[in-house]
Amino acid sequence: MKRTRLGLAIALVSSSLSMPALAHSDASYSGFPITVKDYKGDKKSSVAYSGQIARHALHDSLKKLSARGNGMPNAELKAQMMAYYAGKDAGRKIIAPATKGDFVVKQSTVDELSKGKNLKGKTYGGAVSAWPGNMTGSEVIEFWIDKASAANKGFDPLTGLDYTQLISKFLMGAVFYNQAVDNYLDEKLDAGTKPNGKPYKDGTPYTGKEHVWDEAFGYFGVPAHALSLDAKTVYSIAKQKPESVKSADANGDKMIDLKSEMVFAHGYYAAGADKSGNSNYMHTITEAFIDGRQLITKANGKNLTDQQREELKAYADVIRTNWEKVIAEAAFKYAGSVYKDALALQDAVDNNGDLQKTFRTYAKHWGELKGFAMALQVSGKDLGVTAVKLNRLIGASPVLLGNTQVSGIDNDGNYIQSPSVSLEEYALNMIEVQKLLNDTFGLQAKANDQLDKLSKLAEKLSNTSSAEND
Amino acid sequence: MIESFQIDAIPFVSELFLDPRKRLFIGYLFAAILVALAFLTLRGMALPQAFRTLFSRKVWFSKSARADYGLLVVNSALFSMLAPVLLAKLTVATLIYQLLQTTWGASGLQLGWPSAAIAVSFTLFLFLLDDFARYLLHRLLHTVPWLWAFHKVHHSAETMTPLTVLRTHPIEGVLFSLRGALVQGLCIALFIYLFDDQVDLVTVLGASVIVFAFNVAGSNLRHSHIALFYWPWLERIFISPAQHQIHHSVEPRHFDKNFGAILAIWDRLGGSLHLSEPTTELQFGISREQKADHRLSTLYLTPFIESYRLIKQRFLAKAIPKKQNKPDLTQKTIYK
Repeated sequence: MKRTRLGLAIALVSSSLSMPALAHSDASYSGFPITVKDYKGDKKSSVAYSGQIARHALHDSLKKLSARGNGMPNAELKAQMMAYYAGKDAGRKIIAPATKGDFVVKQSTVDELSKGKNLKGKTYGGAVSAWPGNMTGSEVIEFWIDKASAANKGFDPLTGLDYTQLISKFLMGAVFYNQAVDNYLDEKLDAGTKPNGKPYKDGTPYTGKEHVWDEAFGYFGVPAHALSLDAKTVYSIAKQKPESVKSADANGDKMIDLKSEMVFAHGYYAAGADKSGNSNYMHTITEAFIDGRQLITKANGKNLTDQQREELKAYADVIRTNWEKVIAEAAFKYAGSVYKDALALQDAVDNNGDLQKTFRTYAKHWGELKGFAMALQVSGKDLGVTAVKLNRLIGASPVLLGNTQVSGIDNDGNYIQSPSVSLEEYALNMIEVQKLLNDTFGLQAKANDQLDKLSKLAEKLSNTSSAEND
Repeated sequence: MIESFQIDAIPFVSELFLDPRKRLFIGYLFAAILVALAFLTLRGMALPQAFRTLFSRKVWFSKSARADYGLLVVNSALFSMLAPVLLAKLTVATLIYQLLQTTWGASGLQLGWPSAAIAVSFTLFLFLLDDFARYLLHRLLHTVPWLWAFHKVHHSAETMTPLTVLRTHPIEGVLFSLRGALVQGLCIALFIYLFDDQVDLVTVLGASVIVFAFNVAGSNLRHSHIALFYWPWLERIFISPAQHQIHHSVEPRHFDKNFGAILAIWDRLGGSLHLSEPTTELQFGISREQKADHRLSTLYLTPFIESYRLIKQRFLAKAIPKKQNKPDLTQKTIYK
């Protein structure tokens, strides 16, 4: 009986995870009515997450800036980067995403999205053990901004550190992921915090819980109409492909409104994983957001009952778990790339290949891997030994040509390098990373799987759990 | 997800009788019937009589056969629960693959073999290693007293039908599964290491071509009363059904003979090959004098008690060497 019930539960959960598009193909994260009692303003919708979109634009712009150095210390560039990271000044242009051919972006300044926003104030404040130097999240970012401003196009060939990738991939975790799963979808769902029976602030057209939920959704980074878009389309919107304009432009005004029609950050990586056809993270997460928002709206401006909050927390759990998987999938993919790159680099050394180009690719992929691996560790959840293993296997830089690796940072902020393993051994570390990520997070897309060939062959052979006697 | 609602019996039946990678695949059973009928009629039996011999109620509804059916059902349920905790071939493959890479470098040989040659080598290597491992484990099951306690469950069959192949104690099942995981894991790791993703298995209906051929040739008659024998020269290469029936015989001179699954060469090397005796009427089981107890409780529990006694005896013999406490190996012969 127990087994049957378990089977039933699994079946229900799986079917609800695998078929969101069927159930909600037309549902959009928009048009939710105002439920605040005695609202006096002229707004028609209670949905608002423009502050989050402003931070997405700040992040995309900072990423662009981080690749603009010329290899010499550059105080002006550093100040500019800091303006996008820590500043709140008016007049900051959106450097990315900007209009590109037919892909016309509606907003051109951060203020048009939301005024006075920065990234620093929302960056993970705990210690980052994945990076040497005992720094908090925002200290790590500022340390990298300083280095990036003096690097050539964001890249330091002496250490193999690609600051553009590091800053971007870690920041997505330390701000968007952390804020959503460790703040909005966590303690802010409690009864005593931001209650649904009151406006978020005096005069706002949304309740406490409505806005908390919207803010989390905003950080995920998918368009409001994401459920009607497939993974490939969402992916191409993020890439600003001309053919994606029609799908992105939900209201048909020939412009892409960053506030509701654009793809950012982990929304893009979720779609990237789903393109494989093996996972459905983007729709699963979006649907949980919409379901949760509907639940809050149905409460009609009253405080949520305990049961409603439990239901809401169940949606939050779906979001949290799948969001984590999205980041782990990205780390998995780049671990596979680094594996191939490290072997290619050794091959280039042995056979007089193009070292510079091979090393650059290797370093770029490493920066992405490291950034995502660090992002996984700032959700407020202690990954325990998984984090320790990840950090040891990946290290604080890629293994360099002399088999050395960055192992620390001295008091002046200079890197310390120590002897490490060979490139071939380091490549094998990457297989360990993939295995660890898959075992810990239960991945589905598994792009660049380096052990894939083993499992494919294993599937062909007969089942070994057989009782056939001789 | 509808599958989740179905009771376990459906996948169990489909796995058992509809998977060409399993001995009891319906096609192999049918092939065995054809082979048996051909054999019996060639031996001068009329077709109706051959049919009656094949489907004799005395065999198919004997106490022994009914115990087979009971074991099969209980074991299937047991194994569906055990399967996730058993060592998986993929785990073994991954470990060995990583070991190979750390010992001999990340990439294997660049021999430039054509894919077909690699597939044939893999299929052949897997078959040889698997067949040898079966022989070896089977030999151990007979020669190590506490293992014999478990394997006796299989040998307690006094009438044999193809389903007797699954008359197995769960502990043996675990050992078989371990053997399979080690053999398959090793082959996968080694070949992927050497030839990367070019490796493939040569298959018919999804089953290894060699296993397929063995099964189509009437492998299911090994556990039956149809003493299909081969020419002596062939019985020195492949174990015939009659030779496996010799292995199940209560005749003391047949004890510990013909451990092999498909190939006879391992038995030849190990000195345990025994050719079939077409003129001898065989009696199956453990002991000529003592009838076996076919109650499921006995079949499942006795091996534990016996092996515990054996291990305790052995331990005592070591601890107090002067006392008369030789492990009672004669016990084995008594049971046989």
